[in-house]
Amino acid sequence: MSAPAPLLELRAVTVRAQERTILAVPRLAIDGVATTAVLGANGAGKSTLLRVAGALIAPDEGMVLLDGEPATQRALRAATAAVLQRPLLRRAGVRANVETGLRFRGVARAESRRRGEEWLERLGIAQLAQRPAHTLSGGEAQRVSLARAFAVEPRLLLLDEPFAALDAPTRGDLLADLRDTLAETATAALLVTHDRHEAAALADWIAVLHAGELRQQGRVEDVWDQPADEACARILGFENVLAPALATRLLGERCGATALRASDCSPAPAGSIAPGDDDLVAPATFRKLVPLGASSRVVAEIDGHRLLATADAPPPAWLADAEPGQGIVVRVPRARLRAVGVDRDARASEAGSGRVPASPTDRDPRCTR
Amino acid sequence: MDVLWAALREALALLGRGDPETYEIIGLSLRVSLTATAIAFALGLPLGMMLAFGAFPGRRLGLAAVNTGMGLPPVVVGLFVTVMLWRSGPLGPLELLYSPTAMVVAQSVIALPLVAGISAAALQQIDPDFRVQMRALGAGRARALWTVAVEARLPLLAAVMAGFGAVVSEVGAAMMVGGNITGQTRVLTTAAVLETSKGEFAIAIALGLILLAIAFAVIVVLTLAQQRGRP
Repeated sequence: MSAPAPLLELRAVTVRAQERTILAVPRLAIDGVATTAVLGANGAGKSTLLRVAGALIAPDEGMVLLDGEPATQRALRAATAAVLQRPLLRRAGVRANVETGLRFRGVARAESRRRGEEWLERLGIAQLAQRPAHTLSGGEAQRVSLARAFAVEPRLLLLDEPFAALDAPTRGDLLADLRDTLAETATAALLVTHDRHEAAALADWIAVLHAGELRQQGRVEDVWDQPADEACARILGFENVLAPALATRLLGERCGATALRASDCSPAPAGSIAPGDDDLVAPATFRKLVPLGASSRVVAEIDGHRLLATADAPPPAWLADAEPGQGIVVRVPRARLRAVGVDRDARASEAGSGRVPASPTDRDPRCTR
Repeated sequence: MDVLWAALREALALLGRGDPETYEIIGLSLRVSLTATAIAFALGLPLGMMLAFGAFPGRRLGLAAVNTGMGLPPVVVGLFVTVMLWRSGPLGPLELLYSPTAMVVAQSVIALPLVAGISAAALQQIDPDFRVQMRALGAGRARALWTVAVEARLPLLAAVMAGFGAVVSEVGAAMMVGGNITGQTRVLTTAAVLETSKGEFAIAIALGLILLAIAFAVIVVLTLAQQRGRP
């Protein structure tokens, strides 16, 4: 027996704006009960992808399939409901707002009222029912927006960075409630976000989008720590990408570009650690210390290339007293190094980003590690 | 000051003694101006929507034309409508010149750019993603547009008020296409002009005061509708 068709599938989808390709997705399949997160930086084409999935824009090429069949605009719109970054509520009461989608879909007034109340209750905002929407806080308004989308009982919920404008505690609460609600209702969701932690908290699958191109996809646990290329590494939180030449020199063996997270790089006083089999110990130049609250960020340099490392907060005395230009070492567990390919656009945006340049001959991502 | 007091007394007397001619003039003023405003809104709102959201070549030029039209001199409109409705003009066979219908046509033309221009600006004030969000909840194209219009109801009512204000107070076009015929096309503005030319200042000012009172009453009703639910 063949596997069931995915709920939604984007196949060879291309979207262009003013002659420029802003989205190119060879294939993206969304499973019927899972949450898929599309992770990408601002301007990567995430919102465009979401709008194609919701039939809000038509792709220039390719097709969108629903249950394995090419989907009509009407069928797609009936199957989906969206929550955008800003709540965009109508100038009306909370109750009327939650019933909006139901009324659009021709649900009778009494039934709309019943389902609206149910969803106000489920998202913990029943006490707001009588309030005018413009008096709500950001978090309350986003809950109303979620209730409004859930109320139409979509097969696929489209979430366009719904937490981006919220403060951290509000975001945490809403994220937890959303995860529970998605699980309870067995609703599939497509979340687009730039926040990898948000993606990991909600999603079962991750797709990484860079400059409109779908670069990598897979289960969260497979993608999270195994970036396919440099762009994916950056989006997945690998702050450091060493050029092949530098990686080869540091590791003493032929390497391609190598990514490592700042949280895996520990600074230590020069000469205090001996290189071991398990750790790479690289001499570096201290540049500055940046307090980040729960930790400290250390900006160092190796051969003129910036390397970010992480220390405790407050930092140890030797680090607090360190002078710019002072020699230190940075220790990285070898197991935390990730070989990545090099993007064709890596060199173009190298300036000012601290990104390590790569020569065309160094594209081979092979590494003997 | 004496003239003003006399005018106020005259105005109250005109209304108080139930002079049928005065009431006829008031009734026709209201009927012509309200009808013209309604027609201007019925045409101006879709036109405003098209100019606000349409994606066609010349949209910005259209918007500039409509905004220029906001300052259209009523006399020029009156002249064009007269030429169109003149016995030998293209619409001459309809025999509408010097009728209330001709006045409605002229006043609709005067109000249309005002209503369309302010409507377009009002609709563009709404977050462009609002329409996307409504579509993403299942609204069809027309329903989503209507929801945006409802969302912009405050400035849209301002567009209606601007349109009504312009037509109820204009005199040039009403005079030219209506002819100020007693019992047929005489409205408050044209009657006031006539009385002034006769030197009957008290009656002219009285008509002016009545015009102001009527305009105020209509605008109060629209403002109350606009500000409903606000403290």
